[in-house]
Amino acid sequence: MAGGSVSECKEHLFKVLVIGELGVGKTSLIKRYVHQLFSQHYRATIGVDFALKVLHWDTKTLVRLQLWDIAGQERFGNMTRVYYKEAVGAFVVYDVTRNATFEAVMKWKHDLDSKVKLGNGSPIPSVLLANKCDQKKDGSRSTSDMDTFCKEAGFLGWFETSAKDNINVDEAARFLVEHILLNDKGAPCEESNGDRIKLDQDVVPAESKPGCC
Amino acid sequence: MGSTTEEEFKEKLLWNVKREVKQIMEEAVTKKFVHEDSSHVIALCSAIEACLGHMLKRRAAGFLRSDKIAALFTKIGKVYTTAEEVCRKVQDQLQQQADITRRTQSTSGQEPLRRQGSSAGRVPQPLSAQAIKHIWVRTALFDKVLDKIVQYIVDNSSKYYEKEALMHDSVFGPILAALLVGPCALEYTKLKTSDHFWTDPSANELVQRHRIHGAHRGQEASPSRRPALGIRKRQSSGSMSEDKFSASAREYVESLHQNSRVHLLYGKNNVLVQPKKDMEVLRGYLSLHQTADALTLKWTPNQLINGTLGDCDLEKSIYWDYALTVPLRQIVCIHCHQRPDCGGTLVLVSQDGIQRPPLHFPPGGHLLAFLSCLETGLLPRGQLEPPLWSQKGKGKVFPKLRKRNSTARLVDQDVDDEPVAADYVFRIVYPGHRHDSITINYHHTTGSRAPSLDDDEEEEDRLHAMISMICSRNLTDPNVMKDHGDMEMQGFGGSPSSWQQAENASHASSCLSCSVGGGSLSIELPGTCTCMHDRIPLKMLCHNMKRQIVSRAFYGWLAYCRHLSTVRTHLSALVNHNIVPPDKPCEASGGLSKDVWSKYQKDCKNYKELELLRLVYYGGVQHEIRKEVWPFLLGHYKFGMGKKDMTQIDEKIAARYKQVMREWKACEVIVKQREKEMQSAIFAKLSSGSSIDSHVMKLIHRDSTLSNEVFMSVDEPDGVGRDTPCESENTPTMTTVVNPVALAPDERLLVEFDSPDSGLPSSRNYSVASAHSQILSSIDDGQSIEEETGDEATPRGEASGRDSLSEDRLCSQLDKLVTSSEDAPPSFSSYTIELLDTVALNLHRIDKDVARCDRNYYYFTTSNLEKLRNIMCSYVWEHLEVGYVQGMCDLLAPLMVILDDECLAYSCFTQLMKRMSQNFPNGGAMDTHFANMRSLIQILDSELFELMHQNGDYTHFYFCYRWFLLDFKRELLYEDVFAVWEVIWVAPRISSQHFVLFIALALVEVYREIIRDNNMDFTDIIKFFNEMAERHDVQHILRVARELVHKVQTLIENK
Repeated sequence: MAGGSVSECKEHLFKVLVIGELGVGKTSLIKRYVHQLFSQHYRATIGVDFALKVLHWDTKTLVRLQLWDIAGQERFGNMTRVYYKEAVGAFVVYDVTRNATFEAVMKWKHDLDSKVKLGNGSPIPSVLLANKCDQKKDGSRSTSDMDTFCKEAGFLGWFETSAKDNINVDEAARFLVEHILLNDKGAPCEESNGDRIKLDQDVVPAESKPGCC
Repeated sequence: MGSTTEEEFKEKLLWNVKREVKQIMEEAVTKKFVHEDSSHVIALCSAIEACLGHMLKRRAAGFLRSDKIAALFTKIGKVYTTAEEVCRKVQDQLQQQADITRRTQSTSGQEPLRRQGSSAGRVPQPLSAQAIKHIWVRTALFDKVLDKIVQYIVDNSSKYYEKEALMHDSVFGPILAALLVGPCALEYTKLKTSDHFWTDPSANELVQRHRIHGAHRGQEASPSRRPALGIRKRQSSGSMSEDKFSASAREYVESLHQNSRVHLLYGKNNVLVQPKKDMEVLRGYLSLHQTADALTLKWTPNQLINGTLGDCDLEKSIYWDYALTVPLRQIVCIHCHQRPDCGGTLVLVSQDGIQRPPLHFPPGGHLLAFLSCLETGLLPRGQLEPPLWSQKGKGKVFPKLRKRNSTARLVDQDVDDEPVAADYVFRIVYPGHRHDSITINYHHTTGSRAPSLDDDEEEEDRLHAMISMICSRNLTDPNVMKDHGDMEMQGFGGSPSSWQQAENASHASSCLSCSVGGGSLSIELPGTCTCMHDRIPLKMLCHNMKRQIVSRAFYGWLAYCRHLSTVRTHLSALVNHNIVPPDKPCEASGGLSKDVWSKYQKDCKNYKELELLRLVYYGGVQHEIRKEVWPFLLGHYKFGMGKKDMTQIDEKIAARYKQVMREWKACEVIVKQREKEMQSAIFAKLSSGSSIDSHVMKLIHRDSTLSNEVFMSVDEPDGVGRDTPCESENTPTMTTVVNPVALAPDERLLVEFDSPDSGLPSSRNYSVASAHSQILSSIDDGQSIEEETGDEATPRGEASGRDSLSEDRLCSQLDKLVTSSEDAPPSFSSYTIELLDTVALNLHRIDKDVARCDRNYYYFTTSNLEKLRNIMCSYVWEHLEVGYVQGMCDLLAPLMVILDDECLAYSCFTQLMKRMSQNFPNGGAMDTHFANMRSLIQILDSELFELMHQNGDYTHFYFCYRWFLLDFKRELLYEDVFAVWEVIWVAPRISSQHFVLFIALALVEVYREIIRDNNMDFTDIIKFFNEMAERHDVQHILRVARELVHKVQTLIENK
């Protein structure tokens, strides 16, 4: 037993939402990200599905992303509010081949911002994903248009992704996690997060409380 | 005697190790690895140490060392290099731990750890006391040398161990070493780099673990066995529960072993006890322990001993309720009933009159052996009265009692030396103790009796116990005193204080001397009893007791009645009040078979519909005839219909289906055409270079200029349903979008949000964007929706003001389309765009979902998906006010699979949706389901409800959303969906309109132990059930659901 090796490691559990119109590829993106799989035939999500992605962020940080795959047509009353609770980040997904899904992006963003906030009251970091970019047609939005749109709409940024061809999926996630971690650092509870809990001592070191304090 | 106990003890020690080895191997299999901090590692270490520590020579154990194992390892380390290596590592670790502990101690990071800790099955404590405690064995194990070290010790056991030690034993020692080879071959890991460890345990793992741990309590865990109404009875005898909670489970089990403080006088496995009436008899380990000043009898169910030591499951095990811990100070007499063929039974009666559950010894002199040990243990202060007799060559034997008087007292007349069928009553007396004179002494009446009196005696024991219990309760329970004070006290002839004083002063015994004869309540006071005042009128006392019994019964009954009234108010609407039994007129569990069905078909007039439904409810439909039966169950046909009628219905439906298909297909053509044109329009627009934002602005601007002509048309009542394609009583409107009345408010808003997928930014879409903040806030609080709706409706009328390229052509086509309806639409052109938008939106959604509908199921080939789409489009065309909502495909799919006929499936789906559409957002059924679930769980399983409430309060029951929306279709495999749906369909006639609730409840109840033990919150539970989808044992769940309905029915019926 190598009980001697002392390593200091912080482990974070982040709840991240994946939202957007139905059929834009939320489930596919998640399956690609977590299981490195793609299928045309994922069933329509009813309610919510989950996936967990473990990221070995750096030698001192372990990040567990709990991805909430929320049905694109989730209309039942207050339920999304419960789903959104305590989320610390979100992907809003649209389908570049269907303009209407882009139009719905704002609806989702507003729904999100109105129902969940960080501990300090600011909206949770969210990233816009322009999915199915492998099927992109001519006449899509220009990069500068998108940048402007994101700025105005309050997205941290946007990525053209393809779950099918595995384009930009990891990058987008990394980008979001970076911001979540940044928020997490900013939180005043940081000091108490700094406890030296050794990995080999016991099961799990402190989980960072989303939006704590 | 002593030697057998010792043998058994060694066996027990070894057996513990065996069990732990098994556990750890299981873990290695189920989890593919064993984590170093696994509770099983700790448990194994502890079991091994118990063996290593057994009869260790004092020299080897070190005179001054408190840790015998450390001493042993250090000793061996001096002569055996492998052990030396281990010693060195342990020392290093201890050094490091000391440093780390200093650092960690100040932090209070425990709380956030709690939940995740459950993944390893116990509360994590950084290098817990446990880990340090077992650090020697643990280190050797992880280094995979433990087996070698133990083998070394066994080989050299004479050096370190006493003669009787387990390690010195020629059989046990080598077995122990051999046992450890397996665990020493495993990889133990901290898995810092592996994802396994960071992943929460899967639902599958949780269930597997539950099976492993809960193997013995499987039956007990079933909700049907749980006491009704969630009333859990606590074991009444006080001493037990105190002891139970004062020591942790681990300590308890460890306390059964010999150690420095406690001397084990007697131990016997497989002693039978029936802890509660109507419960099965449990086997357990009976042990008698002596500490400095007390003698304690323990009986521990095998289930506890066999469970994982120290695991939190163990601490929660229900078997704790059954374990017995009896301080012998409390026991005043012991009844022994012996039968030569089936061993002996021993009943302990304590001073408060409470009778402990009888202990059944296996045959073979064990009872006598126990008594003998007990007698020894009681010395020097106490003794058995009458004492056991010593007989040369035989050791202790039962005394031969003399006749005291001629009537009821029988002498054990057998002259044989054999232990004979005989019953004895021994008192435990403490000569010299100030209260010895008032020990219950009634063996002069029951002292020794013929076996034939057995039944009577049991009765008598019970009665005796009851009476003395009531007497003592009367004095000790302050509440009772308060409640019935006056009434009770008069019974004691005005001198209650003397009673109380006596009671308070004495821990040893209260006194009640009475002998009870033949079940009558008359009590006769023996002259020897000093505690009873002679003046107390016995009749009064008896009278008083009677009253109290009655009043207790009354209050119990009253509480029950109150509870029932709660149940009735909340639950009575959920079930039918007449109970349709599963076995009358005939056994229904076989279900509706082919035979029965063909009999029905031949003679349908004489067959009772209800009887057929009963068969389906209790046993389902045989798969081959589902295609024929389902149309009846769903209401497409009616039971008792003749062939002619059925054909007529089919024809009617076929005609209608054809008509609907024609209608929407015509519309689809236009929608497609329009889309194409719009696609080119948007391309032109985008390539013109205008930015999105300005584009949006432009459109919003345009919105405000639009007229609300269409909205106004809503006010004309005949304008609403005029272009319905058929004359169904619940007229579907094509103008839905402009009809706020027909829509549930939130539904309408959301329809608005979900912009049609036309590709062209229609004005409507952008009007939404302009007003979204308003709308979204209105979604949040339902109250404001109504007024928002009014506001929102206004800008929607803009459509007519548009100069669409193809509008004229569209209108003409649609005109043709609706010519079949009675009156011509008055202002048709004003809403056609809306209609087309809606249709386009719905078609798109249907296409999306049809394409991905259960593609892994063999049935859904391209051609069958096409049929699915046709049916779905037809249904949605007729119900455009609701539109397509995700989930509808899931409801249609199983019908398609069974019926395999487009027209029939269409009709049956329409029938099914009459109920199911209420679950979709525009119906109110979902909220009702949640509210009912809340009531049901609250009343039937308050413990679980409390847990749900505490863990972030998920008593909104949103985790059941998918269940109710799809009638469990996503939770089950196809074959199981069929079975469950049939039962749901017939249940309203048989047991309950809301059978789905009971299935949901059954799902929760079946996994309740897992939910509870893992302390699940909302995320956990929804995740758990998502992962458990298609893995449920559906027959079991249906059975539980039916039982639950029955339970509620009986509760309500029982007036």
